[in-house]
Amino acid sequence: MSRFIRLIVMMAVLTLVAAACSSDDSSSETTAAAATETTVAAATETTVAAATETTVAAATETTVATGDPVTIQIFYPVAVDAPIASIMDGYATDFQQKYPNITVEPVFSGGYGDVKTAIQTTVEGGGEPPALALMLAADIYDLANSGLIMPLDEFIAASPNAGAMVADYFPAFLANSQYADQVWGIPFQRSDVLMYINKDRFAEAGLEAPTSWDELGTAAAALTVENGDQTQWGIQWPSGWPYWTFQPLAIGAGQNIIGDSDTTVVFDNPDVISAVQFYIDLSEKYKATAPGVQGVWATAPTDFASGLTSIIVHSSGSLPGILEQADFEVGVMPVPGSEPGTFATVVGGGNLYIMDAVPQEQKDAAWLFIEFLSEVERTADFSVQTGYVAARQSAYDTEIMQAYIAETPQAGDARDALEYAGAEFSVQNLGEVRDIFHDYLQRAFNGEMSAADAMAAAQTESDTALEPFK
Amino acid sequence: MGTKTSTRRQARFLPYILLAPTLIFVAAFTAWPTLLAAYQSFFRQRLNIIKFKEPTYVGLGNYTDLLTDERFLRVLKNTAIYVAVTVPVSIFLALFFALLVNRKLRAIGLPRLAFFYPAMIPLVSAATVWLFFFTPDYGLFNTALRWVGYDGPQNWTGNPSMALLSVMIVVIWKNAGFYMIFYLAGLQGLPVDVFEAAAIDGASGWQSMWKIAFPLLRRTTLFITTIAFIGAFRDIDHIFVLTNGGPSQASSVLLFYLWHVRFENSDVGQAAAITMILVAVLLVFTLTNFIISERTSKDV
Repeated sequence: MSRFIRLIVMMAVLTLVAAACSSDDSSSETTAAAATETTVAAATETTVAAATETTVAAATETTVATGDPVTIQIFYPVAVDAPIASIMDGYATDFQQKYPNITVEPVFSGGYGDVKTAIQTTVEGGGEPPALALMLAADIYDLANSGLIMPLDEFIAASPNAGAMVADYFPAFLANSQYADQVWGIPFQRSDVLMYINKDRFAEAGLEAPTSWDELGTAAAALTVENGDQTQWGIQWPSGWPYWTFQPLAIGAGQNIIGDSDTTVVFDNPDVISAVQFYIDLSEKYKATAPGVQGVWATAPTDFASGLTSIIVHSSGSLPGILEQADFEVGVMPVPGSEPGTFATVVGGGNLYIMDAVPQEQKDAAWLFIEFLSEVERTADFSVQTGYVAARQSAYDTEIMQAYIAETPQAGDARDALEYAGAEFSVQNLGEVRDIFHDYLQRAFNGEMSAADAMAAAQTESDTALEPFK
Repeated sequence: MGTKTSTRRQARFLPYILLAPTLIFVAAFTAWPTLLAAYQSFFRQRLNIIKFKEPTYVGLGNYTDLLTDERFLRVLKNTAIYVAVTVPVSIFLALFFALLVNRKLRAIGLPRLAFFYPAMIPLVSAATVWLFFFTPDYGLFNTALRWVGYDGPQNWTGNPSMALLSVMIVVIWKNAGFYMIFYLAGLQGLPVDVFEAAAIDGASGWQSMWKIAFPLLRRTTLFITTIAFIGAFRDIDHIFVLTNGGPSQASSVLLFYLWHVRFENSDVGQAAAITMILVAVLLVFTLTNFIISERTSKDV
């Protein structure tokens, strides 16, 4: 009989579980609706609230800093070859020494995509997300529209240091952090696209660092050698996930692929088409790289460091790994532009976002941790430890950074490249528009369509996909 | 008297009570989500578009959109090719490997391990390893192919006509060894006297293989076909690593596309419609398989 009772108990528990599952749906709808309201309210109230906020938020800060214990989580990805996990744990410990009643739990959550999916599913399922997450800067519109993140203007207005902090970021980083005249993300783990050149090979061949497309093509062709039945290409330009490595070409031709508004893309444009054509020319005309789409993102840094190619276009995040492996002099520069003496790059990487669905005291604590992570010294320290470019300009004046650059001048070159940086591809409905662009860009690279036809088709389809936002 | 009726009542309800946990689990985690997806598939809901955030009824709109979308039709075609190639090829290889290692030799554990090894590593790790194998010029796969006289294109993951093939190669490599284990177990369970009798009657190795062993292994084949078919729809991890569905969607399959639509495009309605299409395909296969297996078990 006791077994029978146990069965009944088990069934009851299972029914409860099932009930909990179904009730979650209704609660997730409420959360979503509430989130929309908050967003709208926040958007309209900013100006009014700005005057009174300072005192309110200053009061909350003291409450959070000295009041009841608060625990917050931060979800972060690991996207480069650096000990991010131990660095984050170290920052959390340091933070707790400053604010003993706030506990920060860093949670490693996979790649950038995994962090976003984890938070999406948690919130949609009615659960409570972490207070803080490190997600792609380019995802800002989707994150804000879905009601996952909150605008940070109130915190910035209330904080004595935040105004100077925001003004200190490199402009290209802030371009991907603002939406509807508000700041939604704080630049943290940021990178840019760099061209890595094997200076020893350049010297042997009597070549100078290229300063235009034509010089680049010619140099890469001169560095291409036949090695038995294998070809050692002069340049490797990854294009398996192509928009990011392609953007420096478009910007270098004089036209970024995004326009002034968050619903404008510029694909069907002579400059952009010429950029697509140059990528094709590198293999067709200059015979300096493998034909078609190059799915070499993962292998290019190793190939470059071991001398299997002499030039690669890759993330600044790969710099420490390359320097560690390479036994030749590594040169780092922005990508040359179409005209002699012009250069271009594009920014990328992650911002810190506060989740809208957490209680106020967690939001306050999360903001304090953002401010802590964004201190000039810590920004410099993070850059030195990971190889990410420091997002704040003044970080490059710190002693630790000066010492690092004296030892590793390439890190200074990565910073200098930022002067030529354009904003990363980020528009409304990013997932769909990016798919369309990738689809046609790769068709052009693979010779299935001409550059002009592909960009015209991409423009038409993207405009349709962006229609609901206008 | 009282005890007797209560015992009888207990006996009447007991089977249902015993079945209840399973039924509740299936209802909560299979039936309910499927019904929910069926319902959602009739609504337009885009979580990243503020004005479409609340569901609005669109009838069969999501289905007609999908079936007129060139990109989705390409994904369907890719899926059909993917399933039609990976399932039979991995099963055939599995049988071949099983026959190879079904011998009583001294170090037979070693080749068995070699064939089974790919099944033990996670699909993502396998894909990462293969990413390096596929590297143009010096990649191991290309080097091996060159050695046997291949001089075609080497850019496996970037070439639109080879990307799907490259993700299929990885999954076949990974699964053949796993299915081999079932055939090996099946072969070792076969009665020895039948083969002895066949040998006395003068049957060649080939004949005893096709006329005796293979028919006797029919149950095993049926089982492997089922798990291979379902696996072909389910295993997509390697696509993320190798090609990201590209170039130009050339290696995108149904479940990969579904993930994309749901989590990258935040399109709840269309994702639900794709789920229903996936469920329908799997249901048709499972029913067909069930009917065939019922028939064959009557034959036996």
